[in-house]
Parts: sequence; C-alpha cells; structure tokens
Amino acid sequence: METFDEGADALTAEESWQSIHTTMDNVRSSMYVAGMAMILLMWGVILAVGYLTMYGVYTLAPDFAEEYPWFPAPLWWVLGPVGGVSSGIIGSRASRRLSYGAAGRRAGIRVCLFFVTTVVAMFLILGVAGVLDDPNADGGKTLTASIAGFVALSYILFGIMTRAVIALAGAGFAVAFFVPHYLLGDAALGVTGVLSLVVFGLAFLWIRRTGEW
Amino acid sequence: MNDEVSPTGSAVVLDETIHQPTRLRIMTLLVSVPEPDRLAYGFIQQTLGLTGGNQTIHLRKLEAAGFLAITKEFEGSKPRTWLQATRAGRRAYADYLSNLQRTLGLGMSAADGRAGSQ
Repeated sequence: METFDEGADALTAEESWQSIHTTMDNVRSSMYVAGMAMILLMWGVILAVGYLTMYGVYTLAPDFAEEYPWFPAPLWWVLGPVGGVSSGIIGSRASRRLSYGAAGRRAGIRVCLFFVTTVVAMFLILGVAGVLDDPNADGGKTLTASIAGFVALSYILFGIMTRAVIALAGAGFAVAFFVPHYLLGDAALGVTGVLSLVVFGLAFLWIRRTGEW
Repeated sequence: MNDEVSPTGSAVVLDETIHQPTRLRIMTLLVSVPEPDRLAYGFIQQTLGLTGGNQTIHLRKLEAAGFLAITKEFEGSKPRTWLQATRAGRRAYADYLSNLQRTLGLGMSAADGRAGSQ
C-alpha cells in the first residue's frame, strides 16, 4: 500500500500550490460539462433533422417553399426549444449523479444562463440588424446562416471556458455549415445536415471512448 | 509531518496526510464545494484521472485521518458512493493552505489574518 505514497516527499510547495489551482479549475469546469456528451449528440441529431428537413422541402416541394418562404421558422421554433429543454433535463440529471448540493445546482444555473444569454443576444442582434423582419427567401437564408453562426460561436466560447472538445465541435459545426453554404449551392443544407450529425457524433464518441476532454 | 522552511527562515509543518499529490487533489476537490455538499466517487475518479484502486487507498487514508466521510446509497438498484469533507478535514486543509502560503511567502496565514483583525 505504501507504494502509492511514493513521490509524496518529491511534492514541493510550489508544485502543491500549482496542483491546488489546477484541481480547482478542473472541478468547476467538470461540473459545467455534466451530461455534455449526450447533449452534443442530441444537438447533432436536432441540427441534422432541421437541415435535412429544409433540404427535403426545397428539393421535393419547391412550390411549397416558394409559397411559404418562412417555413424554416416554425420548424426551428419547435426544434430549438425542444433541444434547449432536453439539454437542461439531461444536464440536470447528469449533475445530480456527480454531486449533491448547492455547487452542482449553481453550476447548472450558470450553464443555463450562458446559453439563454447567447440566444437572447442572438435575437437582439438579428432584430436590430433587421434580419428578422425579412420574410422572403433570401432573408430566410440569411437568418439560417446567422443562427448557425451563433450556435457555433456559443459552443466555441463555452468550450474555451470548459473543455477543448466542445470548442472543436463548435468550430466543426461552423465548417459543416459555412463551407457547403458557400460552395455547394442547393445541396448545401443536405450536406450540412449530415456533417452536423458527424461532427457532434464524433465529439460524443471522443468523450465516451476516451473519457478525455 | 513534512517540514518546510518559509522565506523568513522559520520552520513550517505541512500535514503529510494531505501533502501527497493524490490526496492533496482529492481534498482540494472536496473542500471546493460548500460544506454540506457531497461529490460522487466516480466524479472524483474521472476529474482526477485516477484508477479505482489508487483512489480507494488514498480515500481510506483520508477517512482514517477523519478528513472525509464516505456514504454508500442506492439509487434504485444502482449503488452510489458519496464523499464529503468533514469539518476536521476542512480545518486541516485550511491549516495546510495557510502553512503552504507561509512556505511560499505568500502573505499572512489565515490565523495571522484573524489575529490581525481583532
């Protein structure tokens, strides 16, 4: 048993101090990312469903898309809140398995406020910019691209503060959306739908298989 | 006990139950949450990247010193092990931190601070 104590004497005061700070950082960010693997996978599915549905409507029912150019709005008005509420439930349940008490609750509230603030900021900025007022097809595309940008940015910012793989998933989603958006024309939404699932699915697998963040 | 020397030349004693890489990190995790809070065994293992056997041995040493309490519960059919820093553990950690600061010459100890404010 004593072999586990080997190296105890080698711990200098400076190393102890550094270890304390590193551990403090780890525990905070670990609480913030409770359930994040499943949340990332769920958002991969939601984004794939949204983009593939849009692609399907534009491709298979162009007349409908022309008559109702605002059709993506109700689609995302359903998918977005479903994803948000589900994320909260998954995160809350995961948090209760990790810690019991005020610290876990506070971490959950902070994460919730971060993403709610991001969504509010997104609507404020898009509203001020007039993007929300334009119901025609071009306006709808601008809105879709703008929302994709905010989604990617929120994951990148959250990942920078917590775990790199979340930031990478955000950056990956930005690539999955904007590269096809500018290069592939009509097929862009279909490709983005598939790539979104791939990006967030890879993040999920990385976390589940390695346990490393 | 582990003797260190502060920049002023005075001897500082660091509690060797805590002054060990793994146990220091475990205690830091446990005292980083408010007093009634508990952390799951698996959460500590995952956050610190420890093996089960290694973690258990260090937890037993901390428990034997009275620094942490281990509670086993069932959530449905799943067993859950919760860890909580005891008051004695929090006091010992505060003293350790205070002595560590003195060793590093980082200002007054907590005890000095309390005395100075009276």
